[in-house]
Amino acid sequence: MKILIAEDEIALQQSIYTYLERDGHVCEVASDYREAACKVDLYDYDVVLLDINLITGSGLDVLKALKDENKRAGVIIISANNSLDDKLEGLDLGADDYITKPFHLAELNSRINAVLRRGKFGGDETLEFNEIRIDTRSRSVYVNDTFITLTKKEYDLLIFFITNKGRVLSKEIIAEHLWGDHSDLMDNFDFIYVHINNLRRKLTVEGAKYIRTAYGSGYKFIED
Amino acid sequence: MLVSTVVLFFYTNALLKEEVEEGLYSTEARIVAAIRAGDNPYSLPPLVDFKKVPELQDEVLKDTMILDPFEGEIEPFKELTTFRNIRGENYQITVRSLSWDSEDILIAIVFSYCFIILLAFAILFYVNKAKSEVLWNPFFENLKQMKNFSLTSETPIQLVDSDISEFSDLNAEIVTLTNRVRSDYRNLKQFTEDVSHEMQTPLAIMQAKIENIINEKAISEGQFEQLTSIQKDIRRLTRLNRKLTLLSKIDNRQFVNLERVSISDLVKESIENFSGLSDARIAFSQPDPIVVDMDRHLAEILCNNLISNAIKHNLENGNIQILSSEGSLTISNAGAQSLKDPTKVFHRFYRETKGQKSTGLGLSIAKKICDLYGFEITYHFRDNCHVFTLNFNNS
Repeated sequence: MKILIAEDEIALQQSIYTYLERDGHVCEVASDYREAACKVDLYDYDVVLLDINLITGSGLDVLKALKDENKRAGVIIISANNSLDDKLEGLDLGADDYITKPFHLAELNSRINAVLRRGKFGGDETLEFNEIRIDTRSRSVYVNDTFITLTKKEYDLLIFFITNKGRVLSKEIIAEHLWGDHSDLMDNFDFIYVHINNLRRKLTVEGAKYIRTAYGSGYKFIED
Repeated sequence: MLVSTVVLFFYTNALLKEEVEEGLYSTEARIVAAIRAGDNPYSLPPLVDFKKVPELQDEVLKDTMILDPFEGEIEPFKELTTFRNIRGENYQITVRSLSWDSEDILIAIVFSYCFIILLAFAILFYVNKAKSEVLWNPFFENLKQMKNFSLTSETPIQLVDSDISEFSDLNAEIVTLTNRVRSDYRNLKQFTEDVSHEMQTPLAIMQAKIENIINEKAISEGQFEQLTSIQKDIRRLTRLNRKLTLLSKIDNRQFVNLERVSISDLVKESIENFSGLSDARIAFSQPDPIVVDMDRHLAEILCNNLISNAIKHNLENGNIQILSSEGSLTISNAGAQSLKDPTKVFHRFYRETKGQKSTGLGLSIAKKICDLYGFEITYHFRDNCHVFTLNFNNS
């Protein structure tokens, strides 16, 4: 997949670049408004990550130009401003998602994948990993064509694992993905442990043993 | 005043005495003239009385008390008795005149004095009052303005001008002072906002770099622990930041969308969100569902903050009870003892326990939201429970 990272903070831009490239995405970067507008105009991207506050202009203008030209790119807005108004304005202009700094790269990656799924397959939104097949529209999961029943949290967890396969996910990242801001309530992450164990058990029964423990307290979804 | 009353009394008394005496002498003279003319004037006792007497005596002028047959009571009379030889006969002529009561005069004087004084006071009072009102009007107008003055208001204070130089000076000082305070406040607020905002990007960079380190290099288990611990602290800083931003946004009144919000539904949603995060038992009973006009986002934050506060500070195996009835929402959780300083419970960064998970801002945000809409939020400790009561009726 081809991704444009329009972010004027070079350190953040490079970190995102490094993270996404490992998944085999083709990444390009833009460090200011002019460069972003130019690249968006010249090339086609599957996903554009757009910082609202680009040094020399607003990311929202890039978004407008993108939509005016009827480009098919999915757009995820990155903002330092956790404001509902900004979010609504961005989504109104046709952005697919909105993420507030600071964010976990795993979270960003999972959002990118969600946008890609929606954009690429149209009505037929399917996510596959070896024998696991997920219909994201009906939210049903099949392992070797056997339907398995998952709770909402287990389902979200599985999607998160598959989109971040091969990466170490700490309990904090997982907790935040599943519960958002509410996750700060947790004094310990035993609840995560319960959900992960249930998911692991349900998958293992069908022969899909991919969830591994990493570094004692983290998790990794990985093929042997 | 007192001296003049006394002087007036004696003067009036003397004057009256003189008049009456003069009257008596003139009546007597008329009678003498009548007798001399040969007329036989009527005797009109007790006022006029004359009789023949064998010899003349000295004239007598005196005060006396006589029974007035018409009024049937004893009255003071002034009496003049003269003896005259008229046409060879000796007459005793007695004329009397109804005298006056000194007490009555005194009372009359005192009464009229009192009346005049009261009248003067009343007139002075109302005239002064009316005058003062006109004079002080600008002052009280400005006082009202100052009472309504809010640091957060966008417009400077509007004072009424006055002709009085002291008031003008005062106005000028007030305007200068309020403008300075307002600008200081604005700068401080702007600073908070800027800091919060500018911190997001460095935090994002730190977060991203840590994730890359975890995923790229083979690190030890101990290093992983350290790195995730740093991630946790970044999260804490982020949450703190967001809450501070939220507080200043509420201060700036940036939430202006009013809509009908069902608090009961939000509470249910909130409980749903927290299930799976905590094993606290939450009982929600709602005899009267609550619907209020407010910003939906703030309503969500309000419910979430109060419920998460109850969960955080709940005793192990304690129950959380939420009750919505008669326009008020009561949230209670089990607690060992009352807070040491209940008045501070809504203050920023006030913590009774050193709970790592708490930013110390949740309740102060809840209080801010309540203040914004005029709701009342109170805390008390009852039957071993921390109880927060939200009263929506005041709005």
